[in-house]
Amino acid sequence: MRSKNSSNEAMALIDANNFYASCEQSINPHLRKKPLVILSNNDGCIIARSPEARALKIKMGIPYFKVKESLNSLGVVVLSSNYSLYGDMSKRLMNLLKDCSEEIEIYSIDEAFVSILRPKDKNLNPWARKVRCLIYQNLGITLTIGIAENKVRAKIANKLAKNIDSSAGIFDLVRINNENDYLRKISVEKIWGIGKQTSIWLQSKGIKNAKELRDADENKIIKKLGIVGKRLQLELKGNKCLPIETIKKQKKEIQVSRSFGKPITKLEDLTQALAIYAIKASEKMRSQNLKSSTITIFARTSHYSNHAYQKSAYKKLTNATDNTSTILKIVVELSKEVYTPEYKLSKAGVLMQDLTNCKYLQQSIINYESQEDSKKARLLMRTIDSLNKKFNNEAITWAIAKKPQRWSMNRNLLSPGSTTDIKKIPNITR
Amino acid sequence: MRSSDLTFKKVKIPLLSDSISAGFPSPADDYTEENIDLNEHLISNPFSTFFLRVKGDSMINSGIKDKDLVIVDKSLTAKPGNIIIAMIDGEFTIKRLSIKNNELYLKAENNKYPDFNFKNHIDIQIWGVVIYSIHSYL
Repeated sequence: MRSKNSSNEAMALIDANNFYASCEQSINPHLRKKPLVILSNNDGCIIARSPEARALKIKMGIPYFKVKESLNSLGVVVLSSNYSLYGDMSKRLMNLLKDCSEEIEIYSIDEAFVSILRPKDKNLNPWARKVRCLIYQNLGITLTIGIAENKVRAKIANKLAKNIDSSAGIFDLVRINNENDYLRKISVEKIWGIGKQTSIWLQSKGIKNAKELRDADENKIIKKLGIVGKRLQLELKGNKCLPIETIKKQKKEIQVSRSFGKPITKLEDLTQALAIYAIKASEKMRSQNLKSSTITIFARTSHYSNHAYQKSAYKKLTNATDNTSTILKIVVELSKEVYTPEYKLSKAGVLMQDLTNCKYLQQSIINYESQEDSKKARLLMRTIDSLNKKFNNEAITWAIAKKPQRWSMNRNLLSPGSTTDIKKIPNITR
Repeated sequence: MRSSDLTFKKVKIPLLSDSISAGFPSPADDYTEENIDLNEHLISNPFSTFFLRVKGDSMINSGIKDKDLVIVDKSLTAKPGNIIIAMIDGEFTIKRLSIKNNELYLKAENNKYPDFNFKNHIDIQIWGVVIYSIHSYL
């Protein structure tokens, strides 16, 4: 057992800079040093920029169609998001970080909390520099590392590392003299865990930045914000209240939802889209040993549309299931309930709720499926899953998924490079 | 963490196959279920290892041919003598890192191709070290 001397244990928030753009530039040499932007699903909005694109003052979140021409004239490379690449690079990143730290909590696709022991001289800068070098060499990704005593302050340190040019991507909030000056730079709405409403309230009480929240009247904070606010304030003071969560919490629901490439007005198209999402969701459940007893679907119009429409429908099951055929039947039925011919539907989704782990599952006494049938179904599902895994997805699927998909997602600008599909690996051209 | 956590395509070669369909149970039954996983044997740093495809014959003299698959470990620091992948002028290139008169340069293993030295090409970045090449004879 490793000794848990909490005063020696530091917390770091490590995140990747321009993660999606860096992944692309890392395996596509022609993108190196070029201004590059990545678009959201359906080539909708700009969701990531290379440093070169940032330097051209291209903004995040703007719809692609609005800036298409100006990007073109600036010579900016535009790519659809390639989530299989980003997912693989993320997995690599997190595993490499695991080897550099005591414990790791993967917080999102490109950020993680890690705990690390402070050396005798208290200086973690050499460690942080080593981690940055390692990840840059191995993955071509630049990191920002914020170090402090706990999560809330590590988040702040990370922000400071990004905003202070001389920090070289590393900021240790513990090893500075003028902490108050730095905490004043962080406005309350930028503090981890402070939502919009809370920040409005804090500001109305004259609490505008991290320093002022740290020093605010404790009773006032706990009265208004409860235990969550109390913990936050304690963390700002340097106490450790939020432990690192290394074990993934069991998912509460599994959702598969996508925007359509073209709006849907026909029932058969909506049914097909929902069926395909249901097949994916069932696969996801089986891969995590989960079964669902509430199946919900929804469909809606675009957020930008003047005529907003949204409808959902669900079915509760007596016996939780992970059987694609059973789920498909239900979803096809439900799709009639959410369909409307009057609106152009732009998004739909399938949610598997009330998830239970198969290990702990109790069979209902009134069981409609005979034991033998469910055994057969299980075997069939397992065979399909393993064949699809072996032959790279959708070797076997249901007939409904194989008809032409008039509505499918636009990814016209997908980069050629892949780290997960042997047919699309990068070429060495000279 | 083992290489099996990666999404690499797995190549599994069964060591023994149970071919006896009737009669006595195979005395080998207790020893089956072992597979050679090439990922495990060839790749020691799975999270830093990438696959690339060779186009062209610039490394023909060292036995790396057109269409070969190369396995590249980016965690290794390139040393003179290593075959490496570099990014030059927006392309991946495969060359041998060589040293002449105390100066490093990138050498093609084919007389038809020029060498690259680091002085004339400012934008050279060594990307990774080639650890294996795989050639198909079919």
